[in-house]
Amino acid sequence: MLPKIRIRTLVWHPYVTPIDLARATPAQLEAMKVTPSSTKVSPYVRTLAHDPESYVTRTVLFNAIMYAQGGLPRCDRELGALGASVVNGCAYCAMIHGQRLAQLTHSDDALSALWYRRYDLLSARDAAIWHFARALSAAPPAAGPHHVAALRQAGLSDAEIVDLIHAIAIFGWANRLMHTLGHSEPTSGAPPARTSGQGRKER
Amino acid sequence: MTDAIDEATGLVPGDALFALRRQRPDFVTGAELCRHALLTPADDQGLAPPLRLALARRMAALNADGPLTATYDAALDTAGARDDLTQLAAGKIPLPGPLRAMALHCDRVTRDNRSASEADIAALAAASLSTPQIIALSELIAFVNYQCRVTAGLRLLKD
Repeated sequence: MLPKIRIRTLVWHPYVTPIDLARATPAQLEAMKVTPSSTKVSPYVRTLAHDPESYVTRTVLFNAIMYAQGGLPRCDRELGALGASVVNGCAYCAMIHGQRLAQLTHSDDALSALWYRRYDLLSARDAAIWHFARALSAAPPAAGPHHVAALRQAGLSDAEIVDLIHAIAIFGWANRLMHTLGHSEPTSGAPPARTSGQGRKER
Repeated sequence: MTDAIDEATGLVPGDALFALRRQRPDFVTGAELCRHALLTPADDQGLAPPLRLALARRMAALNADGPLTATYDAALDTAGARDDLTQLAAGKIPLPGPLRAMALHCDRVTRDNRSASEADIAALAAASLSTPQIIALSELIAFVNYQCRVTAGLRLLKD
């Protein structure tokens, strides 16, 4: 039995100045789906809405991929998202999607196994998803036929693998925004940590 | 009707994987809408489509995606890209200025996103990119890398 890990909650701060809602253009307000009197629009949204067109189209695609009905179970999509986020060094995304994985599975076992690199403790399905997510996220992508064979062996249908590919790919996208346009730090306590990589979790 | 991902993956109507993709119509149409928003946006924020194509070609090549690189090469050709853009597309490091800053950022975020830091955003601002331009560039970089992961994954299911 591995020691339990605790995922520390992080808060994200942009490197660029987010949109001031009072000065936003109609296109920016439309993209954020807010009125000038709204106050609860996250800094992430107000940063990306500087380019309203890409913000809207990406958000629609992201939601389609991560919340699509049927097909690959949500927890498997979250595991794929986590694998991408670890490869791409996005601490914030890894924190959020590690937490979602734990919530959806009602267990910290997979997270503990990943944190301690005890891949032998993962289920065959989780291990196949994890290794595929990491390989596909490499640059250039390094996933091969043996990764797909392992996914099929673990019971994933090709339709489910299509869902998984998209979850991993859309996180390669999200990670390249969140990690490059800002940094995350713990909500309280420790001084700002601008490290990338796996510093999101603590024992 | 085929789309950019079908073309780069080598899928045609009638293929099992072509039909499988259409079981998720929102993924297919969503990616196409993103492609337009990133490569031929209504408001390009001062980053014109040929520049966007050149950067996209550069990043497809960094991802070793031959078919996608060829698609962008053909689009660049059609757009009649000038010398500095063809050099940029080919992976050369431009002379100091906005093109150089954008090229270096594309290269870093494509190859090693983990290593990106505040200094990289500062370098773009120092090369006189506006905040909307920095965001549009970041989305373009992320989009091309998305395309490359989808095509790489789908090719593994093709056979």
